[in-house]
Amino acid sequence: MTRRGGIALALWLAAAPAVADSGEEWLKRMGDALSNASYVGEFITESTGRTERFSIIHRVRDGVVSERLVSLSGNGRELVRENDEVVVYLPDQKLAIIERRSGRSDLLGALPQFKGEMSSWYKVDYVGREASIFGPTAVVAVRPLDGYRFGYRLWIDLDSHMPVRSDLSDAAGSVVERLQFTKLEFDRHIPDSAFEPALDRGKLRWVRQSPQAEDATPAWRAAKVPPGFRLSMSGMQAVAGTSEPVSHLVYSDGLASVSVFIHAPTPGKAPIQGSGRSGVASAFSTVVDGHQVTLVGEVPPRTLKVIAKGLRPAFAAPPASTAARDRDN
Amino acid sequence: MTDRIKEQLSTFLDGELPEPETALLLKRLERDDELRGALSRYSLIGAVLRGDGDVPAARQVAARVSAAIAREPVRVASLLRVPGREALMRSVAGLAVAAGVAFGAVMLVQQVETQSTGTEAVIAQAAEPPIVPVSDVAEPDQAPASSYVTPPAADAPGGLPQAELANYLVAHYGFASPLVRRSVGAGLISAPTGTTLAEETGEETRISQ
Repeated sequence: MTRRGGIALALWLAAAPAVADSGEEWLKRMGDALSNASYVGEFITESTGRTERFSIIHRVRDGVVSERLVSLSGNGRELVRENDEVVVYLPDQKLAIIERRSGRSDLLGALPQFKGEMSSWYKVDYVGREASIFGPTAVVAVRPLDGYRFGYRLWIDLDSHMPVRSDLSDAAGSVVERLQFTKLEFDRHIPDSAFEPALDRGKLRWVRQSPQAEDATPAWRAAKVPPGFRLSMSGMQAVAGTSEPVSHLVYSDGLASVSVFIHAPTPGKAPIQGSGRSGVASAFSTVVDGHQVTLVGEVPPRTLKVIAKGLRPAFAAPPASTAARDRDN
Repeated sequence: MTDRIKEQLSTFLDGELPEPETALLLKRLERDDELRGALSRYSLIGAVLRGDGDVPAARQVAARVSAAIAREPVRVASLLRVPGREALMRSVAGLAVAAGVAFGAVMLVQQVETQSTGTEAVIAQAAEPPIVPVSDVAEPDQAPASSYVTPPAADAPGGLPQAELANYLVAHYGFASPLVRRSVGAGLISAPTGTTLAEETGEETRISQ
């Protein structure tokens, strides 16, 4: 080996671990595992001072993703997904809600790459190795670069590349929700029967929420959105509790997303205004131009409020400067 | 159920019951299944007798119940300020009962519109707990429903009702970030008290690292 060749080999050996342990590379491995692995497990979530246990069965077979999520808190609630159809069983309310999206959602989508414009909103870092109950993990941080989105800290199992723990945190680093697996077993032969809900479906009221039509020219638009967020979907959507289809807009920064639901006020029902929260999802309701507007998304509440404040009927001509900014976004 | 209570119900449905009596009637509705059934029946009979079977008429009943609930400052205040979970849940349950009666009236009148069965059959069902109209009852393989009814809700004045939040979250689920979609799903099926409703303080509970 020549002197030059020896130096090159030494540099390559030095660089190799850095490439293998880059945050982006570990995220890619994790994405591949999430897209291909079939497993049975249990996990706990800790959020807003509450800890809850869930069981999960996840199977990928012939490109079809099936998943069954069961609350172990005793309420019997389940979420069963098969590709783009999701059924939420709420036996304590004698209710089942069905949602089917026929390829318009990101249910089958992969993790985004944190390159290009995404690097303006998130910074991905490989943090190091940590032990977990499943063995050694690679810890990766996806840090938000402003206060309009949450960050993630992921503990990725070195062998399976599965995220065995994830912390959702705000821009200040405070953890908003922690999800941690307590059991995880891989199984390539999970039977169909494993995805049958453990309840009497005949006793439930079935409510179907379905998207109704693509809407290339939505009747509403957000004249101002937080940096990086763009309109990624617009359409009409049937939502339980509303007598008419609602306008559904989705704004996304490539990772986090916000759904905006707009409908005419329901006769006899007082408008809803205020904030709510369900696990990692924030919610905000307000009234804009006489319409009831509700925003939900896995983002900080301020993001929802900024988008809500900028909502306008599309036919209302915005100021020229605002139009330019929106077009640029 | 006494004649006086029946008379109160009738007066309430006409929108002429004085507020103090309305408050008492609502409290009684919370604990009296028979009375709730009667309210649903009376509202339905009224709609049928008017010959219109119209949903707006029933919605007026729903609105009346909602408005009566909204006029109860003590209950509203307790819902927003009492820190104890048990007290909160009691208040929420009370509101849900009254709201359920109101929605029951709406649902039953919608059945008059959508079903070709006789009035007697519909009235017989009125004694049952609130149910969804036929148009909402869809087996998984059936066509999408044309109208929807809010499921039993624990409404919080000034906040987003839990049931409605769940409906919107189901619609949003498919668009959630792949990194947190599982958390969004877990939030949907978590225990009802897992959904927190906050006033406009923006305060949230944090987990220490």
